[in-house]
Amino acid sequence: MAHRILVVDDEALIRLLYERELVSIGYEVTTAESGTVAIEMATEDQFDLAVLDIEMPGLDGLATLNRLREAAPQMAVILNTAYAIYKADFQTWLADAYVVKSSDLQTLVDQIRKVLENR
Amino acid sequence: MYTQIENEVDRRLTDQPLLECLGHAGVGVFTIDADGCIRQFNDTAAEIFGIDDNTPWDELSITRIDTFLSTGLGDKFPGLMASGEPFVGTAIGCTNPNGRFMVLNMSCQPRTDGVGGMIGVVEEVNTSGRRAEQVPSLIRELELLTEVSAALSSSFELDRVLKVIMTAATASQGLGFNRVFLFLLDSENQKLNGHLAIGPSDAEDAGQIWSGLESKRQTLRDLLSSYEDSSRQHDEPITELIRHIGLDLSVESLVKGVCESGRWANLENETPSDGPTAALLDALGTRCMALVPLISKGKLIGLLAADNLITRVPISNDSVQLLQLLANQAAVAMEKARLYDEQKKRARELMRMNSLLKESQDQIIKIEKMSIIGELTSAVAHELRNPLTIIGGFANLMLKSELSVDLRDYLGIIASEVRRTEEVLEHVLDFHRSSQHESETLNLSDLVEKNLKLCLGRLHQSDTQISLSLASEKLMVHGIKDQLAHATYQLFRLVAGELIPSGSAEVRTERRENNAAVIVSFECDDRAKQQLTRALRQVFTDNKASQRLTIMVAGETIKYHGGNLGVAAGADGVPSIYLELPLCEEG
Repeated sequence: MAHRILVVDDEALIRLLYERELVSIGYEVTTAESGTVAIEMATEDQFDLAVLDIEMPGLDGLATLNRLREAAPQMAVILNTAYAIYKADFQTWLADAYVVKSSDLQTLVDQIRKVLENR
Repeated sequence: MYTQIENEVDRRLTDQPLLECLGHAGVGVFTIDADGCIRQFNDTAAEIFGIDDNTPWDELSITRIDTFLSTGLGDKFPGLMASGEPFVGTAIGCTNPNGRFMVLNMSCQPRTDGVGGMIGVVEEVNTSGRRAEQVPSLIRELELLTEVSAALSSSFELDRVLKVIMTAATASQGLGFNRVFLFLLDSENQKLNGHLAIGPSDAEDAGQIWSGLESKRQTLRDLLSSYEDSSRQHDEPITELIRHIGLDLSVESLVKGVCESGRWANLENETPSDGPTAALLDALGTRCMALVPLISKGKLIGLLAADNLITRVPISNDSVQLLQLLANQAAVAMEKARLYDEQKKRARELMRMNSLLKESQDQIIKIEKMSIIGELTSAVAHELRNPLTIIGGFANLMLKSELSVDLRDYLGIIASEVRRTEEVLEHVLDFHRSSQHESETLNLSDLVEKNLKLCLGRLHQSDTQISLSLASEKLMVHGIKDQLAHATYQLFRLVAGELIPSGSAEVRTERRENNAAVIVSFECDDRAKQQLTRALRQVFTDNKASQRLTIMVAGETIKYHGGNLGVAAGADGVPSIYLELPLCEEG
């Protein structure tokens, strides 16, 4: 059975890109445009892993990460952001991995595989 | 001062106030008792009669004294006492018991107050003449002091003040000493150290100097105002004579006595009993010398020593006294010069601090600007990340599907260009991150060595193509380590990645005047040389070149640290890259 991945990003084209890429390699993908929506989805449904953007309007990625840890503790979370600087923020240590956005999605894909294997 | 013989028995109180009153009078006042003995007298009378404290009582008879003075009073005394007539003698030429010739006016009157004897007044009439003779020399001394005072007031420079005093002491129009030596106090070590001297070193030198000065016919004022011309060229050898003399003030000596008492001494052809003074005279090759302390506000600041070694003219006490007057003026002027010098130092320090403040302000403005630019660049870079991820990501996605060859090529170009743009953004963000740190002092050679290894390691290149030669001395520079590391890393990345595929390079560090430099020189054949020149031109001047932004950022970083990054033409026509940073003081 395919792993279920929740992609959370306010940028619609990023969501679309990740969805296409991850589906193409065999994952089942659901997307959310905000942290609030992501928490609702994770509460109502079961996901194996979330790819979570940090800089988002409303509830940002770090706050969402905290809530997701309570709402869906079994779900792995990979923080995916344009900012490398958040790596130094201890709040990000709650995540299973931290990947800086890049047009080359291989790094992200590799991290998803690795995290899912380790669960 | 009122003087009285100790064994005088019939002193009358009635006379004392009168004699005390006349103690300082210019005329001699005295009393003679009925036996013809001088009983009471003031200082002037004592000087005229040749009386001092050691004069025996029996020698105070007017008859005896008159054998020297020949006033006639001794012979006439009994008759005058009997007749009650006064004695008057005018312009009496005589020689007193001390052998001093004088011309006297004397007047005596027998006393009618019942005491007996006579009361008399004696005046040396040639005193006024002698004073008149002294007037020209007093005027000359006054003129000298006025000229020196005027010259001193025109300068606050210690060196000039000292030269004025010493010129006045040695000039023939001044005190006319042959040589003058100045010793200054080293209060910490309680020593007087030889500082400056004026005068000829020997007779031949004296002949040259003095005939030269004579021919110029300069006044003292001219000499004092042009002291540099007249003395500086001649004073070096004689100053050398005292340069290494140190007079120890912790040892008892005549010199120490002069300094402590503040009173001058005139050594007249004598051998001092103490070692230090004798050693000083030996060192200066003289036996006659005037020593005058320099004292300002009660504190010793130095010592003037003067002699007439060349002319052998005896040093008179009058000239030493005058030298002391000059020394007093010199001491005040030196104190003034010291204060002026202190003020000048403070002013210089203020100016330096002012300029540092200005530099700091400029630096702060620069940092502020850099910070704003950094923030802006960072924000733009982050904003570009998402669109680049989307463009490149979709291009990569499309590349996975069935496509025509052309379309595949085009998408490949899009994906690779997006990747390159992302790398540039990465460098810009690296730079922004590194500017968050504080400045420190570091050895440029260490930085270069570390970053070259790092760069070669990351590019999977060995060091066979790039050799490293580090300066033997430390090249300490001041700056933000991460920024400088980033700049040098980018430079090596450019060299290793783009510039040396067809040749080899040497990276060396060296000191270039006040800069620490990193030089990258290349070794290649003619064809490679042309390629290298073209590549460097593109990187350093062509805004479309892929490495341009990276090198621009590196260049700006180096410029921000007060240095330069550029290309220089080598002797064999092969260009080289240089990176210069100002050496800090520790370097």
